[in-house]
Amino acid sequence: MIETIDLQKDYKVGKMLYPALHGINLKILDCEFTALAGPSGSGKTTLLNIIGCLDIPTEGEVLLNGKATTRLTAREKSELRKKEIGFIFQTFNLIPVLTAYENVEIPLALLNLPREEKEKRVVSMLKEVGLGDYLKRRPNEMSGGQQQRVAIARSLVKDPKLVLADEPTANLDSATAREILILMKDLNEKFQTTFVFSTHDRLVMEYARRLVNLRDGRIESEQSK
Amino acid sequence: MKLFVMAGRNVFRHTRRSVITALAISVGLMAMIAMDTLINGADKQGEKNIVDFETGQLEIFAKGYYREEGAFPLDTVIKQPDSLAAIIRKIPGVKTATGRLKFPARLNNGEDELPVMGIGIDRANEGSVFATPRAVIVGKFLAATDEIVIGAELAGDLKVKVDDVLTVLVRDRNGTYNAFDLSVRGLLSTGHPLLDRNAVLMDLETAQRLMALLGQITELCVTTADDPKRIAAIKAEILHRIGPAYEVYAWDELNAAIFRIMGMKRLFHFLVALAVLIIAAIGIINTMLMAVMERVPEIGTLKALGFSNRAIVMMFLYEGGLIGAIGSFVGTSVGLIISIYLSTVGLDFSRKLGNADFNMPMKMVFRGEINPATVLLVFAFGVAISLLVTLIPVRRAAKLEPADALRHV
Repeated sequence: MIETIDLQKDYKVGKMLYPALHGINLKILDCEFTALAGPSGSGKTTLLNIIGCLDIPTEGEVLLNGKATTRLTAREKSELRKKEIGFIFQTFNLIPVLTAYENVEIPLALLNLPREEKEKRVVSMLKEVGLGDYLKRRPNEMSGGQQQRVAIARSLVKDPKLVLADEPTANLDSATAREILILMKDLNEKFQTTFVFSTHDRLVMEYARRLVNLRDGRIESEQSK
Repeated sequence: MKLFVMAGRNVFRHTRRSVITALAISVGLMAMIAMDTLINGADKQGEKNIVDFETGQLEIFAKGYYREEGAFPLDTVIKQPDSLAAIIRKIPGVKTATGRLKFPARLNNGEDELPVMGIGIDRANEGSVFATPRAVIVGKFLAATDEIVIGAELAGDLKVKVDDVLTVLVRDRNGTYNAFDLSVRGLLSTGHPLLDRNAVLMDLETAQRLMALLGQITELCVTTADDPKRIAAIKAEILHRIGPAYEVYAWDELNAAIFRIMGMKRLFHFLVALAVLIIAAIGIINTMLMAVMERVPEIGTLKALGFSNRAIVMMFLYEGGLIGAIGSFVGTSVGLIISIYLSTVGLDFSRKLGNADFNMPMKMVFRGEINPATVLLVFAFGVAISLLVTLIPVRRAAKLEPADALRHV
């Protein structure tokens, strides 16, 4: 379970402080498929980054399965991300010099797994996202949708408890976005992984089981389906 | 996926940039190795010429002579050379010894006259200490008392050839002018400018008669059979045996000025090499800085996936190290090929530099000498400096918070 307690984040630009989050209190249960919705500048990405230990809040705390994360050292946060959190980015963020197989293999390279186990997991995950025949393709040889599928496979290959997706469909056409959303939802159900994603796309909001609306760094409303 | 494989692929992500950077390192290291070979060869050639033609490994003088050697103090000579040589030859480690009598003279061909250094040599022993008998390129070495051998260059200056007769003019020990007509028996080419351009070699007895110094010499030149590292110990033993009436100097002490020049040359060499390496290092910094800056979001992604700061630093270090290793390998290989050419064929500067002698006892044909330690050191240095300068931009980038790195444009 994820719990944020009075999360506040200010960005300093020069001498000016720009508040991005104002005391966010949120609980997300295991296996939820939750969308953080809101317009640009509402604080969605900041909130995701803080939950994923990619950023530090100015004040407040984040509990991941009861464990406080904001005061962890860089190494401890790195360990947490390595084992328990998967990320999907708006711009896919695949490593351009690596093939689809190698990109998905990266998170496993950090875990001490036997080679056969790694191979089995990577191939199976790429098949799961429909790219069983694309193992040796490099990112520049794939469409945006295919790249995002590789990114999804990469986020899930280590079997994390939580996947955080920042605007995962923003760079995709609506048909591909729909495919990606269906895939993510299927995987959420199949692997019982908690999915939290940010979006300002109506389509994505339709697929979310729980919708948290943010505006100006505050939770404006919530709805569950 | 191993970090090294990623680093390897990243090297070829911008092939042209990596090649140019590696090339900058290659050129720097190649220049360092070739320069070192040339300077090392020149130094070794100079040292060899000093020992083979001028001093032997040790020289013994009567006390006070060496301090005024340039003025040829003929009152301060060795008066019993035979008994002194007998003592010296018995000392363990000494191979043999030969006497020389050096004096100022003028050499006249009937039209022109040049100042020279007269050197009276012991024909029987000269070849066991010095290489002069083997350096005759035209004619033969001294076989009689009325003959001289001169440097081929001096012969050219005086326009004389073998069998021509030259007049050797001197002021003897008593201040009396004296002159001998002696025939040219052979022409020398030693590589030592003193002998090739300024010296006239004659039989020791002839020189003694010419200078009114019968039975006397200015110096006793010694060669040792032992390891050159033991010269200091042998010198101490000689001093102990012959007492305070004499002084003994090793060949390098006798040429301290030349060794100071060599030292300065090495310092200059080091500074030039350092400048070249700094330029190459700036190239690597530039390449790695660009590689890091354009990949900051990628660093953010890797951190999000769980890469530690250390792993990211290591990945870029592999990358910089790989470029450095490729550059260093090419540089040292080409440098080695050039060095092999320099040490076998050499560089002939005689046409360009004419008779300039750089105050070094060596020929105008420079032959290099490869120093394997330098080649290895230069290779290691190339890789090490690549790693070191890669660290500068990478450490900062690796410390960024992942969110900041991901936001970086």
